[in-house]
Amino acid sequence: MRVTGTAAAARIVEQAKRDRRGVLVFTIGTGCCESTAPFLYEDFWPGPDSEQVGEVAGVPVFAPEYLRALYPGNDGVTVDVTDDMAESMSIETEYGCRFVLRDPNGLPIDHQSEQVCDVPESVSALRARGPQELPEALRRVRMR
Amino acid sequence: MGDAQLFIDGAWGDAQSGETFPTYAPSTGEKIADVAKAGREDAARAVQAARKAFDEGPWPKMSGKERAEKLRAVADIINGRSAEIAEIEARDGGGTIKKAMFADVPGAVSTFQAFADCAENEPDIIERGESPFPPAKSIVRREPFGVCSGIVPWNFPFLMAGWKIGPAIAAGNTVVLKPASFTSLSAIEMVKAVEEADLPPGVVNLITGPGGSAGEEMAQHPLVDKVAFTGSTEVGRRIMQLASGTVKKVTLELGGKSANIVLDDADLDLAAAGVLWGTFFHNGQVCESGTRALVSRKIYDEFVGMLVERAGKIVIGDNMDMATDLGPLVSPSQVDTTERYVKLGLDEGAKLLCGGAKPTNLAAGLDQSAFYLPTIFEADNSMKIAQEEIFGPVLCVIPFDSDDEAIKIANDSIYGLGGGVWSKNVERAHSVAASMRTGTVWINDYHMITPTQPFGGYKQSGIGRELGDYGYNEYRQIKHVWQNTATDRNGYLHFAALSGNI
Repeated sequence: MRVTGTAAAARIVEQAKRDRRGVLVFTIGTGCCESTAPFLYEDFWPGPDSEQVGEVAGVPVFAPEYLRALYPGNDGVTVDVTDDMAESMSIETEYGCRFVLRDPNGLPIDHQSEQVCDVPESVSALRARGPQELPEALRRVRMR
Repeated sequence: MGDAQLFIDGAWGDAQSGETFPTYAPSTGEKIADVAKAGREDAARAVQAARKAFDEGPWPKMSGKERAEKLRAVADIINGRSAEIAEIEARDGGGTIKKAMFADVPGAVSTFQAFADCAENEPDIIERGESPFPPAKSIVRREPFGVCSGIVPWNFPFLMAGWKIGPAIAAGNTVVLKPASFTSLSAIEMVKAVEEADLPPGVVNLITGPGGSAGEEMAQHPLVDKVAFTGSTEVGRRIMQLASGTVKKVTLELGGKSANIVLDDADLDLAAAGVLWGTFFHNGQVCESGTRALVSRKIYDEFVGMLVERAGKIVIGDNMDMATDLGPLVSPSQVDTTERYVKLGLDEGAKLLCGGAKPTNLAAGLDQSAFYLPTIFEADNSMKIAQEEIFGPVLCVIPFDSDDEAIKIANDSIYGLGGGVWSKNVERAHSVAASMRTGTVWINDYHMITPTQPFGGYKQSGIGRELGDYGYNEYRQIKHVWQNTATDRNGYLHFAALSGNI
């Protein structure tokens, strides 16, 4: 697993370097609301099985062993930045953006090339709403 | 001024910086409010208010019964406004109005009621028996920790706020709560209910914002005694490190990649519905979602056929319509994440059985970029889509040949949050459940979390438990009080141990 950063990501990292006094570290973490994503932290211990897998603007990027095993070799994963919120306590969230992982060569995923399976598509609904009453089965829920 | 403000020391106000950030309705992309963007200084002020309320205020000194009455009042106020709060919750977070009305709001109400019961019934003083020599009686006192920080995610904003505020204040602590910035609005409604129930100022404080520095402050401030966090594993590690500076008590409820095991003797009709419910409820944006369906090879083809056929019947659309099963994901970026994993799955050779794209026939007015079809892959457990938590509507179906193999696959994960077993043989199901390294196992059911039973994770899914008496006691210190009952020097050991001359 080899990780590099886009120019946009590097600019945000440079801003964080100016704003923070401590040592900055990227860690690629996983789980729950963020899925697998890069987080930029100040004075952070990456963990016993983490190893450096790259750098962005001079800030090392660490990933745990199990993620390195999932992305063997040089997959060309990049750290990029998007104009979005996140709940990761990562430093860039202060600037109204978030770091994300991109596919090889930094290209965005080509949505058009994706396979869609041939199954009945679910029904969509934006119609006049009926009564907003819960179904009876949900009204009698009493869990202890 | 923002539409949604901070609540510190019993008063609503803007962030010190005056900054705000917008919050959007995911289904339409429409902005619905400007929310105060708290910084480090606001978080510190909230912590100080909570500290003062704990050290000098009446709350920790009140009896459990008195606090229970206040919690029940909060529950009643929320219950009285349930329709209004459910609408706010669904609009801001993108979950369905159905989910908000049957799970989020009633779940929060019953959480406050359950912790009121704990405050009233769980003993504060426990007699621990007598010691023969030196003669003594021991008691254990259960006491509040002090100031508790609670940081919650965007998938169940109202319920999670209740899980953090409820047990903390029931036990006599004071709280600083930070909801996720995608979903701040319903937590504000919960704090309004606390205000209306007339809790003393500073007992519950609310900070809103992205958390890069406000969240750091809540996790590391020296005046904070306990930090409770629900969210991703890596952020949980960050919280632990920040909290380690002053050795705070930490409880974490983190990620998962839970296995839903369908044995060959399962009721396939119920199990198929249960597996779909286990994964696709709230678009898989649930930490204990059963996103790996382990299916016995003996019934595999029939069962997978049922899953695919029924997944196409799930109704996607306007989340504010009671007839809708799945609304948008929380944000277009969450859809991007889901798409990235679908592509990774295809690249790794997983077989796409259904879904794998955004819906194309949504009604006008809905933001197409925020929706994704329920997606089912046939996968190998070693693939990224079977190991990493996607937090989107993606199910991996994995075949197995024996119960032992199913257990092995289920446990082959860094996580250990939830899991399911489907079988008509209860004894067999319990045997499998006993071997699963997870904090919760449902037999012939899924997603059943109740405020009176413990919830939490093994392995990298967390530390400690929420809910029930176990969750309540995470918010109470343990103090041993030793009382020597002797009346003369013969009842003491220190004369012999040190010197008879003292």
